[in-house]
Amino acid sequence: MSIEKISDPRQVRHWPGHMEADYIYTHGIAGERFFKEIKENGRITGTRCKHCNLVYVPPRIYCERCFEKLEEWIDVGTKGTIQTFTVAYVDIDGSKLKQPTTYAMIKINGTNGGLLHKIGEANLKDVKIGMQVEAVFKPKEEREGSVNDIKHFKPVK
Amino acid sequence: MEDVAIVGVGCTGFRPITPEFSYKEIMFEAATRAYADANVNPRKDIDAFITCGEDYWDGHSIFDEFVPDQLGAVLKPLFTVSADGLIGLATAYMLIRTGQFNTVMVEAHSKASDILTFTDIVAFGLDPIFNRPLGGHPYYIAGLEMTRFLHETGTTKEQCAHVVVKNRKNALANACAAYGADLTLEDVLQSEPMFYPLNRLDTSPLADGCIVLVLASNHVAKKLTDTPVWVRGVGWNSDTSWLESREWGRAIYAELAANMAYKMAGIKNPPKEIQFAEVDDLFSYKELQHLEALKLCGRGEAGKLTEEGITQRDGQMPVNVSGGALGMGYAPEVLGLQRVLEAALQLRGQAGRRQLCDVETGLAQSWRGIPTATGAVAVLSREVK
Repeated sequence: MSIEKISDPRQVRHWPGHMEADYIYTHGIAGERFFKEIKENGRITGTRCKHCNLVYVPPRIYCERCFEKLEEWIDVGTKGTIQTFTVAYVDIDGSKLKQPTTYAMIKINGTNGGLLHKIGEANLKDVKIGMQVEAVFKPKEEREGSVNDIKHFKPVK
Repeated sequence: MEDVAIVGVGCTGFRPITPEFSYKEIMFEAATRAYADANVNPRKDIDAFITCGEDYWDGHSIFDEFVPDQLGAVLKPLFTVSADGLIGLATAYMLIRTGQFNTVMVEAHSKASDILTFTDIVAFGLDPIFNRPLGGHPYYIAGLEMTRFLHETGTTKEQCAHVVVKNRKNALANACAAYGADLTLEDVLQSEPMFYPLNRLDTSPLADGCIVLVLASNHVAKKLTDTPVWVRGVGWNSDTSWLESREWGRAIYAELAANMAYKMAGIKNPPKEIQFAEVDDLFSYKELQHLEALKLCGRGEAGKLTEEGITQRDGQMPVNVSGGALGMGYAPEVLGLQRVLEAALQLRGQAGRRQLCDVETGLAQSWRGIPTATGAVAVLSREVK
């Protein structure tokens, strides 16, 4: 009997499995219009529920509170307030990031929603809840209709 | 409608890896223990079976097709609940309350050590269009939530670290727990920063294990056992899936699940009527956020009470005497049943070295983990009412 116990499950008899699973996710009616505005006009848009007086960012075609259909689109500007933030030191594979990433939930001003994004052009020590930030878009020719058409949000000077 | 009781419990124990057993054999072991405990034969005595899990955790498409044989459930009514085990318990409760089923089994299992790309699966749970393209380790969502919770309530990182020290220590007295340890506050606060303000020791490490419960209607329960544990109330719900619409500082899903369960159980003053709680602590701050959501203390008080020792095993409101997920280990979809198992053992007086004195009513609460906002609550008692 060995006193060395197996601590790596890959050392015992096993069959390796690999799940091939590729998808495309169509943006839908709301997403199509939202990303077209970002790509072509560098504008962030939302939809408004007049019953609940709520503005949804990202936009939706329905209100999750009253379940009404939403058809009123509004330009919500590109500025927001940091609702919460974190600094990631670890990458998805568990390795240490060379450059920590600052993520934030940015409440877009005047709306009830916002965008989850990265914070850039900021001193890490200055980032705090309540800080005013604005979207920094990639140059128009590099935009492809994705959330990454916004490079990051930066502090409003 | 008949009252419903837990009449049997079975647990494999939780471990970081389980190389000698397949996931089906883990389930077989827990089921065998639960059936022996309830003194039932699954082929004759159990009317319906509920299994909780998720395809990606098991690495099977339609994993529920792979569960009947190892549970004694072949050619019997079987339900899959793609959620935490506590929602499975609520489902069993409802099945029995219909009057169509007298004895129902609930199962949840994890063989997380089979998963080579756990974080990729969690990341695959994020919105594919608005959130996933940002990349990164998905636990940064917990960092975002913790920052907001600390900000709104005035809770400190040190108070969160107290939760870790307490729960890992409680786990030392629980043979089922994978991660019992005698840590200091400094160990926690100085562990590797992962997602500010969250450190490595603030997170629950993964574990393998399975829990099976047998539930029965009043007239069957009284025949099977002298120590039934009564399910007096259950509640559950899911908040919006849009991270952009959430409150971040509060666990509203837990508040509403508790309201539903308390109403069913006739609980009017939770801190007075509930003597101990097993709550979700997948990340240290979640225990504090959940205690406040469950109204076991006021908003912003949980950190202070923890610091003062109120939630320790010998305190006025013991919380996670089992060791919680921090001590027992994060077994996806099994967390709720870990909490129920401990509550049931305590109410039966079978918790061994960690037995609490004179407990009549306890609470079990679960959260489904990142990036969900789904929670469930059960109120359990030694007496029916």
